[in-house]
Amino acid sequence: MTEPAIRASGLQKRYGDVQALDDLDLTVDQGEFFGLLGPNGAGKTTFINTLVGLVHKDRGTAEVFGFDVEDDYREARDRIGVAPQEFNVDRFFPIIEVLEHKAGYHGIGRAEARDRAEDALKTVGIWDKRDTRFDWLSGGMKRRFVLARALVSDPDLLILDEPTAGVDVQLRHDLWEIINRMNDAGTTILLTTHYIEEAERLCDRVAIMDDGQKVEVAAPDDLMARGTDTIVLELAEMPRTAPRLDVEGITDIELTDEGLAVTAMGGSQTAPSIMRELEAQGHTVTSLDIRRASLEEVFVDMTRDDREYAEVSA
Amino acid sequence: MNQNATQFLTLVRREILRFVRRPYNTFLPPIITNALYFSVFGVILGSQIGEIAGRSYLQFVLPGLVVLGAISDSFENASFTIFHGRWNDYIQAVLTSPMSNRSMVAAYVSASALRGIVTSLLIIGVGLIFTSVSVPNPVYLVSFLLVITTLFGGLGVIGGLWSSDFDYLTVMNQFILRPLVFFGAVFYSLEELPEFWGSVSLLNPMVYMVNGVRYGMIGVTEIDPNTSLAVLTGTTVVVLSIDYVLFRRGYGLAE
Repeated sequence: MTEPAIRASGLQKRYGDVQALDDLDLTVDQGEFFGLLGPNGAGKTTFINTLVGLVHKDRGTAEVFGFDVEDDYREARDRIGVAPQEFNVDRFFPIIEVLEHKAGYHGIGRAEARDRAEDALKTVGIWDKRDTRFDWLSGGMKRRFVLARALVSDPDLLILDEPTAGVDVQLRHDLWEIINRMNDAGTTILLTTHYIEEAERLCDRVAIMDDGQKVEVAAPDDLMARGTDTIVLELAEMPRTAPRLDVEGITDIELTDEGLAVTAMGGSQTAPSIMRELEAQGHTVTSLDIRRASLEEVFVDMTRDDREYAEVSA
Repeated sequence: MNQNATQFLTLVRREILRFVRRPYNTFLPPIITNALYFSVFGVILGSQIGEIAGRSYLQFVLPGLVVLGAISDSFENASFTIFHGRWNDYIQAVLTSPMSNRSMVAAYVSASALRGIVTSLLIIGVGLIFTSVSVPNPVYLVSFLLVITTLFGGLGVIGGLWSSDFDYLTVMNQFILRPLVFFGAVFYSLEELPEFWGSVSLLNPMVYMVNGVRYGMIGVTEIDPNTSLAVLTGTTVVVLSIDYVLFRRGYGLAE
């Protein structure tokens, strides 16, 4: 049987009074594009750092392609490329040498390390800056470089901790394209992001984390199906008060400037029943618009701290 | 070349390039400082001091200055590179790689010892402008230099892991190492001290290093060099073992 790319079981980590990971169980299959969503302090980065050895867990187990991240740390780390959120780059050397060193730390000989470094810089589009030091790169180039460094060891598992934080739309799309190509070629991707749209567009499955725990794991579409949709109906003659509708799944009905707004689980399935009920009551429906719940709304419902969400959305 | 060797040599090469490419910060200072030492203590004051143990004062102090430069630079190299890597987080590129903890320690210590050796050779070169030495016991000279630079490279690793600010590095180098060396019989013979202070000086490990290198360079020592070498080698093994344990536990490196 194929080992999962990541298997975490009962993972616990405490910093003083803060329980950063609280009995976390999580499995990511090989070749999957997996998203980790959660407010600040949810434990996403702690989880990633546990996989690469920068955090020592208190309890539980974590494996990468079947290798324990502590007992078999060399085998586990050899399969991981990580692009962290913070810029942790060696400023003493031109960026191409930084990549050569990283490849060398993975046991790749000098000649091949040079080739890989050049390839990685070309892949992310900053080859012409190869002799520049990291500090002299623009913000967007720095993001590209951190991704190149994660790619240079040709990892089986690419971990991206908020890779598009603070970058412009064009660069974000460029980075998505590169990451998608890696995933299409078979690389497993673990992505943490604050951009819900990013998870919706890229991920096969997402896990929503909060307070060090896994709240839910599902495909983005499945998660969105669990949210409440809004069905906006225009009627030939708008009533003075919202009609009472005896349809299963409806959670709210109100009159708005746009029309009759019905909030319901599974809008597509509920809409025909709503229309039949309205017509049975003598109304004529002239238009209908179903507005699906976004992953963002589902995310907010599943995490507790709205204050944190405001920060996420900012 | 196998994977372990490639990983080790990559980190050693990175460390060497870091100090070789910054000679104004690494190699020029000991050249200038020791030229000043030789000028003032050797040429100007040395002529008034006369011979010690049948050697000119310049010949007598040269081995001590070599030790001072060797241990300062090997310690500083290891402590700085590890602390700076932690401070700016770029040491994580090494820590998240499949390198073994043993290889990491060996690479940091080897590169630091090499820097100490290069500094030693530079100081000897400067010293030879002012005086001459016969090096009657070259095997002891090489052995002592290898052991003490490795020892202080290993101690520098501990210092780099322990430090939480740049001030810590200064404290260790200026307030601990330097006084120990200055009171380690670099500039005087133990025989010149009152008996009590002569005995107290024997508690200072620098005394054994200075005397060992002095034995190698000019054939003069107040302590049995074989005993010194054995004790220093044992101490080095203990320090390297501590380095390894600290890396394995992630002391100062992992949360």
